[in-house]
Formats: sequence, C-alpha cells, structure tokens
Amino acid sequence: MNAIIDPRSVQADSAPAVGGLAIRHVHKGFDIDGRKLSVLEDVSLTIAPGQFVSIVGASGCGKSTLLRLIAGLERQDSGDILLNEVPVAGPGLDRGLIFQDHRLFPWLTVEQNVLLALSNSDEAATDKRARVASLLTLVGLDGFAQAFPHQLSGGMAQRAAIARALAPQPQVLLLDEPLGALDALTRLRLQSELQRIWLAQRSTMIMVTHDVDEALFLGDVIVVMQPGRIARILHVPSTHPRDRADPALAPLKAEILSLLHAG
Amino acid sequence: MRSTLQQRLLPLLVPGLILATWFAVTSGDDFTAQVLVPPAAVLDSFNELLASGELADHLRASLSRLLLGFGIGSGLGLGFGILLARSALVNAFAGPFFQAVRQVPSIAFLPMLILLLGVDEGFKLAIVAKAAFFPVALATHDAVKGISKGWLEVAAIYRLSPLRVLFRLILPATVPPVLTGLRLGLTRAWIVLVAAELMAAENGIGQMMEMGRQMFRIDTVMVGVALTGLIGFALDQGVRLAERRLVRWKAV
Repeated sequence: MNAIIDPRSVQADSAPAVGGLAIRHVHKGFDIDGRKLSVLEDVSLTIAPGQFVSIVGASGCGKSTLLRLIAGLERQDSGDILLNEVPVAGPGLDRGLIFQDHRLFPWLTVEQNVLLALSNSDEAATDKRARVASLLTLVGLDGFAQAFPHQLSGGMAQRAAIARALAPQPQVLLLDEPLGALDALTRLRLQSELQRIWLAQRSTMIMVTHDVDEALFLGDVIVVMQPGRIARILHVPSTHPRDRADPALAPLKAEILSLLHAG
Repeated sequence: MRSTLQQRLLPLLVPGLILATWFAVTSGDDFTAQVLVPPAAVLDSFNELLASGELADHLRASLSRLLLGFGIGSGLGLGFGILLARSALVNAFAGPFFQAVRQVPSIAFLPMLILLLGVDEGFKLAIVAKAAFFPVALATHDAVKGISKGWLEVAAIYRLSPLRVLFRLILPATVPPVLTGLRLGLTRAWIVLVAAELMAAENGIGQMMEMGRQMFRIDTVMVGVALTGLIGFALDQGVRLAERRLVRWKAV
C-alpha cells in the first residue's frame, strides 16, 4: 500500500493488515440504446486497510458504479481493482455490500436472513446462531431475531442488512447510500451506530453518500467525485468518535460543497 | 367472542334469507311445483340420487375430467409462463398472440372444439386445459418476472449455491403468485367443465343437469346447481388455505 492516504486517526495497532484496496486507471461505460455512455474515466484510488472512506458526488457521477465494481457485481472495461494486491474477479465474501434498500428476503426471519450470509461457512449451526445473535446485539436488534422484515421499520430493516453484511466478516464493507432512504432522525442515529460498529470491527469501510455532513462525520478520507472522475481527496484531521460540531469540519464542508457545485 | 360468532354467522345470512323466501313462495299456490320446486323436493331428489349411486358416478366423472384437464393445462401453463418470462425470443413471437387469445372466453371455443374433437372426452379435456392454462401461464410469467434483480445480487454477494438460490429465493418468490394463478385456473376450469358437460357428455354433473332439464326434473337441475357452486367454493377455499399456510411471512 502506498501513502497517498494517511493511516486512520484511531490507533492502528489492532487494525487488520488486510482489506487494502488499490484502484488503478479504471474505465467503465454502459451501452444505453446502442450508445456508449462513459461513467468512470481513468479513476485511481488507494485505500489503506481499516480506513473509513466517504465518497461524495452528485447523482450520476459514477460513485455507485465504482462501489459495484469493487463488489464485483460489475466488471471494469479497463484498469485494475486489487484487494490485498489480488485482482477482484466477481463477488466474494471478503467484500460486503449494503444497499440503499435493505434487500432482506421477505419470506425469511431476520435471523434466517443473516444466517443466509453464513451459508458458505463450515461452522456448526449452533455457532452460527450464536454469531448471528451477537451481530443482532451489535446493530441493536436484540429480540427481533424471529421478526419478518415487514414487521420492522425502515431503520431496523437497514440495521438487519448491516448485520447480514457483517456476518461473513468481510475485510471491506461497501455502503451504497446505506441511510439514503431513512428519515432525518433515524439517519443521525444510524450514523452514530455505523461509527460505533466501525470502531468495533475495524474493517475497511467505503461509503457512498449524497450527504456531505454524513461523509464528514464518518470518513477519515473524503473522495469528492465529479462526473466520471475523482475531483479531490480530502483528509479529515479529527479523531473518532467524532463531534458533529467540530470546528475543523467546517472548512472541509465548504470546500466539498464548492467542488460539488463546480462539478 | 361475540364478534367472532357474528363473523361466522354473517356469511349464512344471505343463503338463509333466500332459503326462507323460497320456502314461503313455494308453500303457496302461486307457482306450480314443476316450475319452482319446493326445497323439500330438491332435498328428496338429492337423497335419491345419493342413495342410487348415480350422483357419485356423475361427480366421479366430472372430478376426474377436472383433475386430468387441469393437470395438463396448469402443467403447460407453468412451463409456458417460465419460457415467456425468461426467453425474449418466445416472448417476441408468442407474447402478443398469448395476450390476444387470453381475451376470448373459453366457452367461445366450444363449438370449434366439438367440430374438431367430436363430442367425446377429448373436447372436454381440451377446454378444461385451456381454461386452466391461461391464468397459470400469466401468473407464472409475472412471478418469474417479479424476482427482483436486487435479490439476485444479494445471492451473488453471499455466494449462495444454485440449490440455495432455488430454495431460498426463486421458489419463495414465485410460489405465492403461482398458487394464486392455480386457484384462478382451477375455479375457471370447473366452471367451463360444467358448461361443456351441459352441451355434450355421457355423464358428469353438467350432463345430470341437462338430463334433468329435458325431463322437466327441475329438482335434479337444482341439485346440480347447488353442487356446482359448493364444489367450486370448496376448490377455491382449499387452495386459499394452502396459500395462507405457505405465505405466512406476508403482511396481511
């Protein structure tokens, strides 16, 4: 890993040595009605293990596509995406992905939904269930193991989706506007929860968001995107857990907003 | 307690009222018993048909036709529905034709089918199969189309095996809407079968009614009408019960 991004500000001794990403000269386009539409043009980014990276940008700037490429749901036209210096080829349990919609299976209980993510694990069934129970505690869903998704609020369903994504213990957790569909109050609460979970898990997290305050509250590094490219990479100097009113965040916010308006 | 008792009795109110009116009207001299038979005569006729074994024969004939025709029609409907949803080619050449033929009532095909297949079992099975085919094919098509791409991505991310995808995703997502299609197909097949038996049959509940009409035995006709309704109702409720058991996860 190289050093274009600072090591994260929390103490790094217990941080995992895996989960570093290198994105090199990635191009991606889509065919829309026979015309080639370029979504990412020569995007390069290096992310150190255990870092929280926020990607902000306007709709259609390619930030979700970048996340889907890292997840292996799409394939880049050219360039490389390396996880621990190994090229990404398709989805893998070393990378988790949380979508804007929870995508729980409605016919399975919360517990069964999270267990599904452990399908490929060799653990005994009782161990799996114990792990699911502790994950549900981590995301604040104690007592809801047997609930069906339709019985949960939007925020609770998203917590269950977070538990499912964490279950296979991914080295990298990708979050695609994970709180975008929630009301403002639930959103603030879950931002704090995400920070707490990240501090507990210490895996690499990459979150795409529209919300500049959310990006600044959670990210060590903010990647500002303009259509098709990375406009700037900013480092957030303050430590975690973070104070939303930290005066150091204000100039960063102004800079990000001016970049977004320019794009 | 009281409200559940009320809910149980409420559905019996309308049939009860009709029965009471029927009793009242037939106990006077305003109608001759040949035109509007009294309820007691219908019940006698039912008991007679039951005791002679005649009714059981008719029911056996009708229900075995239903089972066979529905089995063929719904099986083909399932296969065709999946093809229509999964293959752009099949959809391109069969889609519009399917949608157009679907609009024609099954009974409209009866004269043609009788000419083609004669008045034996063939045309009855064909019409029953046709009646079952369309609702099942349509429901299957919609069910397969309804499997969300988002869920398939979740399956890809957690590297679920094809077998797990089938049992944890494809079947749970498609079985409830397909069951609804099967229920519609089954009740339509029943209606069409009785109509076909009224036109041409050697036995069956429809033929029993037609013979009753020809011999001016309105009591026999009414036994047939009541049984047709009850059997259709039972088929519908039976599949509904299966639906409710299989789809307990759904918000009601």
